Amino acid sequence: MASVAEMYDVGWEEMRDKLRKWREDNCRNSEQIVDVGEELISDHASKLGDDIWIIYEQVMIAALDCSRDDLALTCLQELRKQFPDSHRVKRLTGMRLEALERYDEASKHYDAILQDDPTNTAARKRKISILKAQGKSTEAIRELNEYLEQFVGDQEAWHELSELYINEHDYGKAAFCLEELMMTNPHNHLYCEQYAEVKYTQGGLENLELSRKYFAQALRLNNRNMRALFGLYMSASHIAASPKVSAKVKKDNMKYAAWAATQINRAYKLAGRGTKENKCSMKAVEEMLESMQITMS
Amino acid sequence: MPIQLTSQAYCKMLLHAAKYPHCAVNGLLVAEKTKEKKKDSHADPVLCVDCVPLFHGTLALAPMLEVALTLIDTWCKENNYIIAAYYQANERTKDSRPNQFAEKVAARISENFSEAAIVMVDSGRLTMSCFEPIVFIYDHHENKWKCREVTVECFEDWSEAQKITSSLLEGRSYENLIDFDNHLDDLRNDWTNPVINKSVLDLC
Repeated sequence: MASVAEMYDVGWEEMRDKLRKWREDNCRNSEQIVDVGEELISDHASKLGDDIWIIYEQVMIAALDCSRDDLALTCLQELRKQFPDSHRVKRLTGMRLEALERYDEASKHYDAILQDDPTNTAARKRKISILKAQGKSTEAIRELNEYLEQFVGDQEAWHELSELYINEHDYGKAAFCLEELMMTNPHNHLYCEQYAEVKYTQGGLENLELSRKYFAQALRLNNRNMRALFGLYMSASHIAASPKVSAKVKKDNMKYAAWAATQINRAYKLAGRGTKENKCSMKAVEEMLESMQITMS
Repeated sequence: MPIQLTSQAYCKMLLHAAKYPHCAVNGLLVAEKTKEKKKDSHADPVLCVDCVPLFHGTLALAPMLEVALTLIDTWCKENNYIIAAYYQANERTKDSRPNQFAEKVAARISENFSEAAIVMVDSGRLTMSCFEPIVFIYDHHENKWKCREVTVECFEDWSEAQKITSSLLEGRSYENLIDFDNHLDDLRNDWTNPVINKSVLDLC
């Protein structure tokens, strides 16, 4: 089988840079990381310098995702040799136990880390992940709430909690988590847009209006966010169609919906330029917008 | 009328699950719209000819699902299809029962197609060889969703479905599968998956 370097005509530096980009973006494309990382480690370890340790960590976690226990163990052993007392490496040992579904052992392992260092957030979060993996959502939610009382600034944790609440259909609490995230990240269009989606799902006229406002805000922060654009269209259309609104509110929302529809059409036209296949999508969108207009009036 | 799956429908569902092994995924199955039903046609199976992968990750949010349902409905009308079933693979491989959200979507589909089914993908049994079908099919009877036994009768041609799915999984075709989420990220991504459809045809 051809090597990655041969298949994609890249050198070891590009492979190393690609791994770095995936680390920075927190991508979970584990199969690719294993392909690139395994080759980099076996063929070019000496050239990587100190980068090799973080690459071992990245590849080890990806290997666990791909059931490559052989590769995971190799990386883990190198890391253990280099950093014998490290809590960071101990966490990786725990993750391997989780991957092998030896949850009780893994939990004890993290407890040992926490005895040594009660502020170790990574170990606490792994324990919560174990609860999630075992389907114990209620406990996971409870533990995560306790964790956040202590570590109020942990954004990853707030986001995880919002997802847990969404899966339990507790949209009110999910919205609260996203509100925390929006407060600390006012320029993040994704949080705005997700908040708007949660509000929309909660339903009711007030929530619909809030959702429309936040879809609009997400668009202001990033005018290429298609979900925000569609969301604005849907929420404004639903408000306009509601029998409970005044004539002015109805008129305003029809204006917003009409504007959104134009933007959606424009976005599809831009995307469809030069491709035959997209004609189908575009037509579907046009018809969808038309049919919704008909039901609105 | 029980549903039946073509190779294309089955393999695209599995490719979707394989592309996002760490997430829940969901999507729709479409069938060809038949003309007037014959009097004794309630034994005839409904053949789901294609599959539209929808989302991965957080499934239980309404707005994008509504957009997708409306858009796909329009596409169906163009192609004389009807949305016949909803599929879902849960985040945890050990859990393959339909949840409240799956039931809600299926109820929505039932408004236009009374025999709508829920297809749950058992991702815990997903393998490259695909030696057995890994779906559970749920039909709505007397206000409850009941699981039907899945045999090769649930497929238009099981050995073909097995061969094609296995081949595409080994060739990592799932890397190129487009779901509705991918489409929303970049409108040029085509959720009808013409490239994968062609691969399926080539293998038939």
